[in-house]
Amino acid sequence: MVIATADAIVDETEIVAPPASRVPLVIRVLFGRPTRAVATVILLLFALMAIIGPMLYPNNLRVDPEHIFAGPSAKHWLGTDYAGADVLAEILVGSRYVITSAIIAGILMVAIGTAVGLISGYYRGVAESGLMRITDFMLTLPSLPLLIVLSQKWKFGSPLMMGLILGITGWAFIARPIRSQALSLRERGFLEAARGLGLPARHVIWREILPNVAPFVAMNLLLSFIGSIYAQTGLFFLGAVPYSSTNWGVMLRQAVEGGALQASSAIAYLLAPMGCIMLINLCVVLLLDATDELFNPRLRG
Amino acid sequence: MALARYIAAKLLAGIVMIWAVATFTFFIVHSLPGSPVDAALAQKLAAGIPYEEAQQQIQAIYNFVPTDSLWSQYRDYLWRLLHGDLGQSISYGGVPVRSVILDNAPWTLSLAVVALLISFALGLGVGVLAAMKRNTASGNGLTLSGSFLHGIPTFITATLLFFIFTTKWPVFPYGDAYDINVTPGFSGPFIASVISHAILPLAAYVISGYGAWMLVTKSSVVSVLGDDFVVAAELRGITTGRKMRYIVRNAMLPLFTILALSAGYLFGGSLFIETIFNRQGLGALQFNSIGARDYPLMMGSFLVLTVSVILVNIIADLLYPIIDPRVRR
Amino acid sequence: MVDLIVRPRAGETIDTDAAVRIRDLTVVYKTAAGELPAVSHANLTLRAGEITGLVGESGSGKSTLALSILNGVRAPGRISTGSVDVVNAGDVTTLAGAELRQVRGGTVGYVFQASQNSLNPLKTIGKQLLDLGRSHGVADPKSLIRRARELAEQMGMDADRVIMSHQHELSGGMRQRVGIIFALVLNAKVLILDEPTTALDMLSQAAVLEIVRQVHKERHLATLIVTHDMGVVAELADRLAVMYGGRLVEDGPALDVLRQPEHPYTAALIRAMPRIVGDTASARALPGRPPDLMTVPRRGCVFRDRCPLAMPKCADTEPQLVEWMPGRHRACYADLSDVTAFAAQPATSVGAAAQPTATATPEAGSDTVTEGAGQ
Repeated sequence: MVIATADAIVDETEIVAPPASRVPLVIRVLFGRPTRAVATVILLLFALMAIIGPMLYPNNLRVDPEHIFAGPSAKHWLGTDYAGADVLAEILVGSRYVITSAIIAGILMVAIGTAVGLISGYYRGVAESGLMRITDFMLTLPSLPLLIVLSQKWKFGSPLMMGLILGITGWAFIARPIRSQALSLRERGFLEAARGLGLPARHVIWREILPNVAPFVAMNLLLSFIGSIYAQTGLFFLGAVPYSSTNWGVMLRQAVEGGALQASSAIAYLLAPMGCIMLINLCVVLLLDATDELFNPRLRG
Repeated sequence: MALARYIAAKLLAGIVMIWAVATFTFFIVHSLPGSPVDAALAQKLAAGIPYEEAQQQIQAIYNFVPTDSLWSQYRDYLWRLLHGDLGQSISYGGVPVRSVILDNAPWTLSLAVVALLISFALGLGVGVLAAMKRNTASGNGLTLSGSFLHGIPTFITATLLFFIFTTKWPVFPYGDAYDINVTPGFSGPFIASVISHAILPLAAYVISGYGAWMLVTKSSVVSVLGDDFVVAAELRGITTGRKMRYIVRNAMLPLFTILALSAGYLFGGSLFIETIFNRQGLGALQFNSIGARDYPLMMGSFLVLTVSVILVNIIADLLYPIIDPRVRR
Repeated sequence: MVDLIVRPRAGETIDTDAAVRIRDLTVVYKTAAGELPAVSHANLTLRAGEITGLVGESGSGKSTLALSILNGVRAPGRISTGSVDVVNAGDVTTLAGAELRQVRGGTVGYVFQASQNSLNPLKTIGKQLLDLGRSHGVADPKSLIRRARELAEQMGMDADRVIMSHQHELSGGMRQRVGIIFALVLNAKVLILDEPTTALDMLSQAAVLEIVRQVHKERHLATLIVTHDMGVVAELADRLAVMYGGRLVEDGPALDVLRQPEHPYTAALIRAMPRIVGDTASARALPGRPPDLMTVPRRGCVFRDRCPLAMPKCADTEPQLVEWMPGRHRACYADLSDVTAFAAQPATSVGAAAQPTATATPEAGSDTVTEGAGQ
């Protein structure tokens, strides 16, 4: 008569919570779904490439002037470039620059942007409006033309410089939404409670607000990473930055300049770096919702 | 009235912003390595041009007398800017930067505006769809494709399009804004030529741009779907059509602010698209000025670009109270 | 199937006043642990001209029950068994699409718990009334505005101003009243109010309750007020129904139930109310916490863990809702006299099970003095 069917599933007592899993959360989230697992593995491979790639080859890649712009072959898996150097080698070597500067830029952007956003969202008065004015100013400057202009002044040859400049010019996008999240948290009253308890501002920002915006920050870290790859390859492509090192952006430029768009055999030279960029992009996109789950306990079910 | 105060505040902020950008540009020019201004002056002097005249020539090009004090240079610069004088272009043989920009701007603007409208409409439609179907396979697929497209750099998209449809399969014409054989004017052949040359660049803009609109629309719609008034409308028996209209109108509000921001993006994209498709426009100007080290042109186009973005933002801010009654008080 | 009265089933008495008949209703929610019931085998009748108060703590399922009258339970919830017959509409659980939409607003008016944001922030009240009219196929939508004006004036508001306003230009109390207008403007026969006073200050509360009483009387409505506030019930309701853990545990004429509860939970609720006069310490909190979807006992009486009168039988099979007196129902195995004794216990002498020491008090809702068992 009663809910007799339930007896088959559970006994008369209440349902118990499932036992806590032994596997660390990060592993569970990242490898929970097959698409995510694949994406994570691919990204790790790229990271590996960045670390050991340049170590595999001598400083000056061996050129083979006999075979310029050759298509893929057994000897050169991805063909050769305008000087006859192996494209695959260039990809591996060039990965370090791209990935290192993108990581630096990403971290810097997110760090500055989050700090500005949190401070201007928490403190009222001069700090708030001053920071907001600066953020708005940075937002209105169109980034690519700005980078071009700046590239005339400072040389960004090294990945560190590139990462630094990108980071310093790109944080404004993150500051705004973080600020509005901080503001809405401020309205919610538990900040008042924390302050009423006499907790110092630093504690409140660090312990109360930051964990709440953490999913957003993590997501932006990933997005800034690929955004930085875009920005720097774009800069190299336009020739705004003099190239002294091998990297993917330079490869693209030389491919187009060298007429890869016309000569189809050189297409590998064009597609290889392009493919890498798009692959990284795809992997990051697949992992984006993982960040939400990682930081948002409510979604973990 | 609070509304008047709001308008005044926005206008003032905009003007301050423009001034800040102009100042910023001034100091950048000044701090360029090798100080091209001084170099140009030295060059002219070495060519035997009397000092006074050399100074004047530099002033015409760069908008300030190179040997005056920094402050008077700055004043001079601002004064000329207010009169619309942006200096002279080096690579265009002394033609005023303003004219160069005005000649080329319509090409960029026309394409960018059309691209924006298409991306916006497409992104809006697909975004609403993705939001309504958000936990289904098709919805997730739409979202994923939008995210993916969004992350592909514009120049990659443009290059690929160019390669596939111009070189590999010659469907579309190669480069330029219109066929060189056709004379410009309001004629059928000209317009047809313009359109056929514009399709690929337009496609490049839209493919790169639609993703962002789609994602923003989707998240906005999803958040509105959770609002009380949507459930309330449903439980009051409002027709589905009307309910959707309620949802979309509310979800579009944040999009409006982003519309203004995206103007900046478009200009960035125009750099690549015009270069790759070999079209004339502001982006091409910027690009060419790099190679030619034509600093007045570079600064001038940067300034124009930025001021346009600021103006678009001001207009958007002023129009916002019209669409959101909550801000009107 | 359009009825002028709610059609009785075999064995039921013909009830010419019944406007809503809920029979054996079960609403389940899909969770990670399968489909769990939020409302179980509920039976309730709402009559025209009668105000029924539905009380219970949060998680008791009362809002879900109220929503079912409009067939408004949304995924991941669904109505799994039972029927809800509404006058002029038939069994709403079988309706969908345009038919269901007509019932919503047309026959059953629903006033939201969160009336603060129940309107489109971008449109004026007047325009939304027109939308409402057009959605319901009203021939002259402007007539709705006229009716809304009358209602607004009746509720003490400036009709012109209200019609032309947007939601954010109205105060909390006004928004609540506008919510009631929207629920009645299509001449609904059934009025449901979900926590009508929770978000309001005391003065607005009193005003809104008075309006509800007036309007209910004038239109001879069948009104259901869902609340956790016993005071509201005591003041307005003709009948009282009590829910716990998704079940209806007691119902009957409001004053009778309040004076002489015959279910230990009802008794405990009443005992937990502080009185205006006398010792506030005499309010006895109920030990333990109300169950939620996951922790509701699957077998036996849902209340037995907190019940001072629990017996072994209670853990075995669930007591059914029986009519022990004409018009009064209860679902309990305890003897009537035992329950009466428990209810009459003075505060100082407490049974072992009623020790409130280390356990949680029912959470407090608004802090009116007539606050009943918390939410």
